[in-house]
Amino acid sequence: MFRALAVLRVVVLANAVALNLYRADNFQRPLAGVLCLLVMVVWTVVAITAYADPSRRTLALLVADLAVAVGLLLLSPVVKGSGFNATVPGFWVMGALLAWAIHFYWRGGLIAAVCLAVADLAVRDHVTQSIYGNIFLIVVGGPIVGFMSESLQRMAAERDRAERAAATAAERARLARAVHDGVLQVLSLVQRRGHELGGEAAELGRLAGEQELALRSLIRTQDASSPTPSSGTLDLGAELGALESRRGVTVATPATRVELPAAQVTEVVAVVGACLDNVARHVGEGAPAWVLLESFPDHVEVSVRDEGPGIPEGRLAEAVREGRLGVVESIRGRIADLGGTANLSTGSSGTEWEFDVPVEPWR
Amino acid sequence: MTDAEQVSVRVMVVDDHPMWRDAVERDLTAAGFDVVGVAANGSEALARFPAARPQVVVLDLQIPEPNGVEVTAEIIRQDPSARVLILSASGEQGDVLDAVKAGATGYLVKSASRDELLDAVRRVARGDTVFTPGLAGLVLGEFRRLSDGPTSGGPHQPALTERETEVLKMVAKGMSYKQIADRLVLSHRTVQNHVQNTLRKLQMHNRVELTRYAIEQGLDDADA
Repeated sequence: MFRALAVLRVVVLANAVALNLYRADNFQRPLAGVLCLLVMVVWTVVAITAYADPSRRTLALLVADLAVAVGLLLLSPVVKGSGFNATVPGFWVMGALLAWAIHFYWRGGLIAAVCLAVADLAVRDHVTQSIYGNIFLIVVGGPIVGFMSESLQRMAAERDRAERAAATAAERARLARAVHDGVLQVLSLVQRRGHELGGEAAELGRLAGEQELALRSLIRTQDASSPTPSSGTLDLGAELGALESRRGVTVATPATRVELPAAQVTEVVAVVGACLDNVARHVGEGAPAWVLLESFPDHVEVSVRDEGPGIPEGRLAEAVREGRLGVVESIRGRIADLGGTANLSTGSSGTEWEFDVPVEPWR
Repeated sequence: MTDAEQVSVRVMVVDDHPMWRDAVERDLTAAGFDVVGVAANGSEALARFPAARPQVVVLDLQIPEPNGVEVTAEIIRQDPSARVLILSASGEQGDVLDAVKAGATGYLVKSASRDELLDAVRRVARGDTVFTPGLAGLVLGEFRRLSDGPTSGGPHQPALTERETEVLKMVAKGMSYKQIADRLVLSHRTVQNHVQNTLRKLQMHNRVELTRYAIEQGLDDADA
C-alpha cells in the first residue's frame, strides 16, 4: 500500500508545484515560496525512499512526515501574506495523512486529519464554504481510509494463513498416503503369511486382514471427502466401499464419484447393511457376499449377492401370517420410500437383491 | 498347466517394499517359476526389462517414479507380448483403471493368498485376464461413463455388447467363470473370451485416444 502511496505523493507534488508556479504572483516572498516548494520536493523523495522499507516505517518518520506537512501549512501566511486563498502545500498534505491512516489505521487517520485541520484553520483569517468542505472531507476521509486499510491488511493476513494451511494439509495428505501404503503392505503380508502358517498366526493374520480392510476403506472415504466440499452430498461408492470392512464382503464400484444427497446415500448404505446382516445371520458369519454399484445418469443400481442356501419358500408367507414385517418386506419398503424398486431372486445357488433407485437428473 | 510348461514362465517382480518383493519372489520360485529379475522402482524396472525379457511382470502400482501406470504402458510398448499383473495394496481405483487401460491384463489385491497369486500368474502368462469383482466394477463403470458422456455414440466410442455387459456384471457380482458359464449355458472358454474382449476394447479405446491426442498436439510430426 505504501507503494501506491508513493505514486500518489508524486502526483500531488506535481499538482502542488504546478499550481504554485501558475499563481507565482500571489507570493509575497517569492524566495520563501521557492524554498517551500524545494522542501516539498526533497521531502517527497525522502518519504518515498524511507517508506519503501517496512523496517523504517517508525513513529519518528511518521511524526516528521506530519510535522513537515503541518509546518508548510503554518508557513503559508508568511509566504503568501494573510488573506490568501490556497495554502502552499495544498493537496500535498494528503501524503502524510494517508501514511498515518495506512500505518495506524483509523485512529492514525483521525489524528493526522485533526492536526492538519487545526493547522489549516489556524492560518486562515476567514473560513469559506469550500475551505470548510475540504477540512470536513479530510477529517472524515482520514479515519475511513485507515479503517479500510486495517480490513485489507487483516484480509491479506487471513488469506496468507489459509494458503499456508492448505499447503500444509496437502503435504500432510501426501505423507499420510506414503505411510498408509507402507502400513497396508505390512498388514497384507502379515495376513498372507499368517494364513499359511496356521494356528495362532492365522488369528493374527485374520486381525491384520480386518485392519487392512478398515484402513483401505478409511482412505477411500478420506479421498472422497477432500476435493469437493459440496455440502449435503456424499459419494455412494466410497460409503458402500466402507462395507468391505465386514468379513467376507466384496464391493465393486465405478472409479468415478457417485454423488447423491447425503440422506439418500445413508439410507441406501443402511439397506445394503441390512441385507449383509441377513447374510451373516442366515448363511453364516463371514460368509462371502458381493455388493455391486452401477451409476447411470438418472438412476443407480445396487446389487447384493450371496451364495447361501436361499430363503426358504414358506418363510416369507409365514412372516406375513404371523403379522410381522419380515426383513425382506422391510428392505422392500425402505427402497420404495426412496422411490426405487427392489427385486429379490433366491434359490439354492444363493440370494440376490437388486435395487434400482432414481436420482435427480441435475447431478 | 503342467510343471514342464510352468518352468518356462519367466517372471519379473517390481515392488518397492523389500519384504514383499522377497516374499513374492520366494513363492514364485518355490512354485517353479523362473524369476528373471526384480526391481524396486519404475526406472530400475524399465532398465532391467529389456535384458530380462520376462513373460509376466508382477507390478506394484505404488512405486517410486515412474509409477506403475507409466511402467505398464512402456513395457507393453516395448514388448506387446509381455503380460502385466498388477499387485496392489492400496487398491486406488483410478490408478488400477489407468493401469488396465495402459495394457495390464490382471489385477490382484495384495491380501490375496499365495495360491491365488500363483494361479493369477499362471493364467496371465497363458494370456487370460485375471479379473477381481472390484476390477470388473471399475471397467463396467468406465464403459457406462463413456456411453453416458457428452461424446457418446461417436465412431470411436467403445461399447460393450449386451452379452459382454451381462458377463462383466456377473464377474463384478463375484461369480466365477464356471458359474457364469452354467447360468448362461456357455462354454468356459466363451465366458473367458467375453471378459477378455471388454479389456481389449478399453485398451484399444485408450490407444485411439492417445493417438488422437498426439495428432492434435502435432506430436506425430516428430517421428516423420
